[in-house]
Amino acid sequence: MYYKFSSFTQKLTGAWASDAYNPQGLRPVVSTEAPPIIFATPTKLSSNSTAYDYAGKNKVPELQKFFQKSDGVPIHLKRGLPDQMLYRTTMALTVGGTIYCLIALYMASQPRNK
Amino acid sequence: MTHQTHSYHMVNPSPWPLTGALSAFLMTSGLIMWFHFNSLILLALSLLTNTLTMYQWWRDIVRESTFQGHHTPTVQKGLRYGMILFILSEALFFMGFFWAFYHSSLAPTPELGGSWPPTGIRPLNPLEVPLLNTSVLLASGVSITWAHHSLMEGNRKHTLQALLITIMLGLYFTLLQASEYYEASFTISDGIYGSTFFVATGFHGLHVIIGSTFLIVCFMRQLTFHFTSNHHFGFEAAAWYWHFVDVVWLFLYISIYWWGS
Repeated sequence: MYYKFSSFTQKLTGAWASDAYNPQGLRPVVSTEAPPIIFATPTKLSSNSTAYDYAGKNKVPELQKFFQKSDGVPIHLKRGLPDQMLYRTTMALTVGGTIYCLIALYMASQPRNK
Repeated sequence: MTHQTHSYHMVNPSPWPLTGALSAFLMTSGLIMWFHFNSLILLALSLLTNTLTMYQWWRDIVRESTFQGHHTPTVQKGLRYGMILFILSEALFFMGFFWAFYHSSLAPTPELGGSWPPTGIRPLNPLEVPLLNTSVLLASGVSITWAHHSLMEGNRKHTLQALLITIMLGLYFTLLQASEYYEASFTISDGIYGSTFFVATGFHGLHVIIGSTFLIVCFMRQLTFHFTSNHHFGFEAAAWYWHFVDVVWLFLYISIYWWGS
């Protein structure tokens, strides 16, 4: 009996031999040998394999540090001013709209005298 | 500072459930105001507040998961259950409209001329644009699978390309369907044929737009390095939803466009 990891159920499920001999996600082995020593001016190791990248560098690690600051601020306000502005606008429109709506419904429920 | 001894996520207090519920109230009342009093202000306000709520709620989820790391395998399992149950509820939603279609079309009344399509209705040719639409959605199912495998293999460029192709195909479907709606010789008010046709295909089209939006969000997140090769549930949820949309179309095509013509 062969097994594979099902990404759907996140559990091991039965598989055929073909899955065992051609495992999902198997990548070609990258050589772990050290590159030959260069005695001339060392060149910078490129971190991107493409000539250019669409979105520039990966900002996720900085954002992770930023959002993990333990300042007690809830997640929806953690970025400070822009979050506050958006929150206040949303609240104002929603609560204001509800009050307007209740008035409109009250008026609409008044009988129209012929 | 105390630390939790379980792997669940205790969420910060959030205002979005309240604003979401209130925006739903505004939406239903707004529809009444539009239908009965010819006023669009409340409906417009409700759509705005609904969009603001969705944007901020999901933005917070991205912050909690990608930036704060709260989505442990346990949490992810719960999200998987949730998405599956949601999609199941949507399937039942569509089943209602298919029930209505078959109820009317299997035993057409004398008022319709005793036939389906009813007398006087010229249905769309299923072998023209509807068939193209079918191939477009099937192809998008292939491209999203390619995107997923590229993501799991850590191939950033291919993931972005395949996702983009999927989104383009989704938008192409929407444009094609919009032009079909414009060109059709019948409208929603043309009896039960028009009602079943436009309500079923209309809700499907809305779901294509929702699915495309979800995919665009995934594209932006992939661009900004949010997904890793073994943790990308947002993408998987979008892919499940997209496949669901595709399957609903196949049922629509076979039932309404093909059998019903």
